[in-house]
Amino acid sequence: MSRPAVHARPGLVRSLLRLFTVQGSWNYERMQGVGIGVAEEPLLRDLRAEVGDDGVAYRAAVARGAHFFNAHPYLCGLAVGAAARAEHDGVPPEQVERLRTALCGPLGSLGDRLVWAGWLPLTSALALIGVALGLGLPAVLGFVVVYNIGHVALRWWALRAGWTYGARVAQALREPLLQRATALSGPAMALGVGAALPLVAQYLSGALFGWARLALAGVVAGGFALLWWQRRRLTGLRLGLALLAVAALAGWLWP
Amino acid sequence: MSIALYRIDDRLIHGQVVVGWGKPLNVAFIVLVDDAVRASAWEQELYRMGVPSEIEVVFASTEEALERLTEWERDPRVGILVAGDIDTLAALTVNRHPVSRVNVGGLHHRPGRSERLRYVYLSDAEASQLRTLAARGVEVTAQDVPTTPPVPLEDFT
Repeated sequence: MSRPAVHARPGLVRSLLRLFTVQGSWNYERMQGVGIGVAEEPLLRDLRAEVGDDGVAYRAAVARGAHFFNAHPYLCGLAVGAAARAEHDGVPPEQVERLRTALCGPLGSLGDRLVWAGWLPLTSALALIGVALGLGLPAVLGFVVVYNIGHVALRWWALRAGWTYGARVAQALREPLLQRATALSGPAMALGVGAALPLVAQYLSGALFGWARLALAGVVAGGFALLWWQRRRLTGLRLGLALLAVAALAGWLWP
Repeated sequence: MSIALYRIDDRLIHGQVVVGWGKPLNVAFIVLVDDAVRASAWEQELYRMGVPSEIEVVFASTEEALERLTEWERDPRVGILVAGDIDTLAALTVNRHPVSRVNVGGLHHRPGRSERLRYVYLSDAEASQLRTLAARGVEVTAQDVPTTPPVPLEDFT
């Protein structure tokens, strides 16, 4: 039932490009569902060629593809590929639905560990170290390039792995390289951020002397205390933005 | 400590369950009650993948869950029980049962359902099913993660 691999590549590339917009139609009703359906459509096109069915199988598969779905945006391609492959392999519709549902959890948690708590803070920390050591703009550009090489490679791997394994996609998630990357990403991130913090602190306080340095230490300690005390409501990003607003206001009032 | 949370969530085991509730409750086991998942090895493998290895995942059919409910309640560790629909969880609350509170954690859009909360879509039949559950003395609230306040049943049915 599997279709010849020669046709797969253009569909996969189109699907990959569409996956970059997967969050664009995010809503509470289907979450990533519509985006997933749009990305899956190029992989389902040759279902239209099924004899004597007038595109019914194709339309039904595209509609199924757009049902409720939510996972990590970089890894959801794995569900796109796997569902499309399962549709081609003649897996019954309710099984395809169950496959999609079952993939939300593991793809979400894997992506969180691998990217949000691994690759992103790790590469950011390396860029901060670069800036603190005086590399300047190249460190920032290096971050943009290196981070996105990993990011796009992960998206491409996910989509291809899904398409290769179909309903047996758990095998792809068991791959030793992926397991090792997931296990390493946490400690590597901790090492990178741990090394970046003192260097960045030194870099940022370099222009301040005497009482200003003490005030900075006070602000940092106060920030940590506030984050701990209000940890249910406050995040580092919110606090950072609030401090920036306060600083901008203070600079405007007392230039 | 027994089962700290009886949850209805059509995504079954995912981040909100494992991290959102699992971390603050210090959960040691998760019971997934679903007849189809109980019968499917590959689905079990996928759900187990989303859970750190130190947390035990138990897959049970509705019938097995009814039999083992008291055993889990007597477990010295803390656990979460998740079912994918109202029927399954309601089936555990017949006769003498230990379920005093039910958490509606996520029921998503499907034809025939309308939006009650951002993460709760119910058909009228499902809404009345929840009210029946409450009438049997079970406290039913909706709450996706512990950091948001629970919504009482009257406010979403």
